Amino acid sequence: MASLDLLIWLIPALPLLGFLLNAFLIRSERPAGLVASAMVVASFVVTLVATFGLAGLPAEERRIMSVAWQWISIGSFQVPFGIMLDPLTAVMALLVTGVGGLIHIYSIGYMHGDQRVVRYFAYLNLFITMMLLLVMGNNLLVLFLGWEGVGLCSFLLIGHWFERRVAGEAAVKAFVVNRIGDAAFILGMLAVFNYFGTLNFYPVEAGGVSQPGFLERSIEIMGQTVGPSWQPVGVATLITFLLLIGATGKSAQLPLFVWLPDAMAGPTPVSALIHAATMVTAGVYMMARNEAIFQASLTTQGWVMWIGALTALIAGTAALAQWDIKRVLAYSTVSQLGFMVAACGMGAYVAAIFHLLTHGLFKALLFLAAGSVIHGTNDTQDMRRMGGLRTAMPTTFWSFAIGAAALAGIVPLAGFWSKDEILTHALTGNHWPQLFILFLTSLLTALYMGRQVALIFFGQQRDPSYHAHESGRVMTVPLIVLAVGAVVGGIINLPWLHWLSDWLFPVLGEEASSFNLFMAALATAGSVGMGYLGWWIYDRAAPRVKVGGKDPAYRVTGDIWDGMEEAWYLDAAYSRVVVQPFRRLAGFLARVFDPQGIDGLVMGVARLFGWIGAGVRRLQSGYVRTYALVFTVGVLLVLGFILVATR
Amino acid sequence: MVPTSYYILLSAALFTIGVLGVLVRRNAIVLFMSVELMLNAANLALVAFARERLGVDGQVLVFFVITVAAAEVAVGLALLVAIFRTKQTADVDEVSTLKG
Repeated sequence: MASLDLLIWLIPALPLLGFLLNAFLIRSERPAGLVASAMVVASFVVTLVATFGLAGLPAEERRIMSVAWQWISIGSFQVPFGIMLDPLTAVMALLVTGVGGLIHIYSIGYMHGDQRVVRYFAYLNLFITMMLLLVMGNNLLVLFLGWEGVGLCSFLLIGHWFERRVAGEAAVKAFVVNRIGDAAFILGMLAVFNYFGTLNFYPVEAGGVSQPGFLERSIEIMGQTVGPSWQPVGVATLITFLLLIGATGKSAQLPLFVWLPDAMAGPTPVSALIHAATMVTAGVYMMARNEAIFQASLTTQGWVMWIGALTALIAGTAALAQWDIKRVLAYSTVSQLGFMVAACGMGAYVAAIFHLLTHGLFKALLFLAAGSVIHGTNDTQDMRRMGGLRTAMPTTFWSFAIGAAALAGIVPLAGFWSKDEILTHALTGNHWPQLFILFLTSLLTALYMGRQVALIFFGQQRDPSYHAHESGRVMTVPLIVLAVGAVVGGIINLPWLHWLSDWLFPVLGEEASSFNLFMAALATAGSVGMGYLGWWIYDRAAPRVKVGGKDPAYRVTGDIWDGMEEAWYLDAAYSRVVVQPFRRLAGFLARVFDPQGIDGLVMGVARLFGWIGAGVRRLQSGYVRTYALVFTVGVLLVLGFILVATR
Repeated sequence: MVPTSYYILLSAALFTIGVLGVLVRRNAIVLFMSVELMLNAANLALVAFARERLGVDGQVLVFFVITVAAAEVAVGLALLVAIFRTKQTADVDEVSTLKG
């Protein structure tokens, strides 16, 4: 279908237009929000139309490629600037534009009265554009353009309230930590080009020349090794490991997840959109897209699985001990991303994408509901100052509860189906340690969500200094829509329907997974039990929660609780091992090396010339007769030399 | 006929007087006269050598020297007037404003 070629360009172009309008023309709040939201919603509609067009094609032809121009053309280094739409891209684009559109609408209410709201919407639109480029790029470099673009927007939006020192520092931290992953990603790209001679995922027709794609040729690097002969590394392992490090940066996995909790300094809709639903899933998407190479390296797959599982557990324990309403959700996001990454490591890419989609829905819902709480309680984020908000904000309460239940994995909400699929894969793949860790984490998930719901909505309001009120319609309607999504989202890949598996089959080539009733029953019982336990403990302990005080569980667990609250001091360790020595080095360079080394050299050269000049200037006496004398003596010397030399 | 070496000796003597004049005198006008003296010493030598070699090249060159000397005097005297107007003196040692 030739028309689809052009249609898919509209998907990223509409938010880009919104960005340009907001950046250059619009100067007031109301049109900014309306234009930004309209563009993303329009993009969602176009994506929907294009997806239906895609579904109308035979399964093996479901890949629409469109190349705008040859981006880079240097010898054999040929990179087309092209986008594509295939089943995997379609579901990602639907999530980005769909959830993104709702969050844009919600932002109209949430950001009302903010002093830089036009800029906010411009960045939000730019983010959607970049995210769409990321998922639609038909080669690694376009993907990387989007990858960096969303990183930039994340930086700009975390630092939206840059007057607050915390926000500025969090923005820089996110940017710098991501840079580590990005550096590895670039190296991975170079390795791909080195071994395949192309960056295209699939064969592309550009400028009348057909360019090869590397994913279908991953067999070529099987068995190839690089490195010293005593320690060879498989090429597939090299490439995928570098890409994995890139993914740990963007998708907030061990060891680079530390930026995500701090990123909560940004506005809450930004946390919902960027740091929960879409951008952080980029790493998972990238691994699913490059599934062919990842599958070629068992070594990397082991690493992927372990990184995912450990991240899930560590972040899950950290989420349990947070007081900040958004930090709980932030650590929970890291934990759920760990589930997805672990699923990728098991080769269960459909399960990973399924969890990515459902998580996008219910985590966006939770964040927006949390934003509604923050909005309605006069910018309170500390859960110790909340309590009993159930009656004051019923819509928020119900949507938050649904989101929490979905996240905890209560049947039949969306999170149950996707999480269960991952656990089932761990079971059928005999990954026992990972299964144990992930199961434990899913219990923790239920526990901390029960705790959070109890602390925010039950009991009595512990800090009476504000009057809690429900948010306006523009904020509650997106909540309701997302809540419905969180309830029914699981339908897209029910074990008996497996629509998503079938839909993604042309890309991932993965059979639909089985359904293990025992596993599902165990997980559900565990989730319900732990969720209830969390709620019960904190509902009863509510009177003992004091503003600025310790958690009731602190009495039992002691210092372990402190460790959990600080995410096992990973931040402190980085500070000690990396940041402090780096600061000291920078301090040495700034205070000692620069003034004495660099300045000393520069000033020394200048002083030397000054000194020489001071000596030489005495010769310039200004007396004409002296000059004449010197001249005469010079002439005599030259003449004398000529006489002597020609003798 | 007077031998050429006599002319050369006279020319050398005149040139030396001119050099010493430039070096030891401070009055700008005397300096000029000394410079003219050197030029004419050179002229004398040129003419003497031309006669010795029975050619006219040297004689032609002398005309050029005379022309240049006239131009130089015109410029030099103008400078001298300008200096005198600003400094109220013709002493070249007073004109040392540009000393380092």
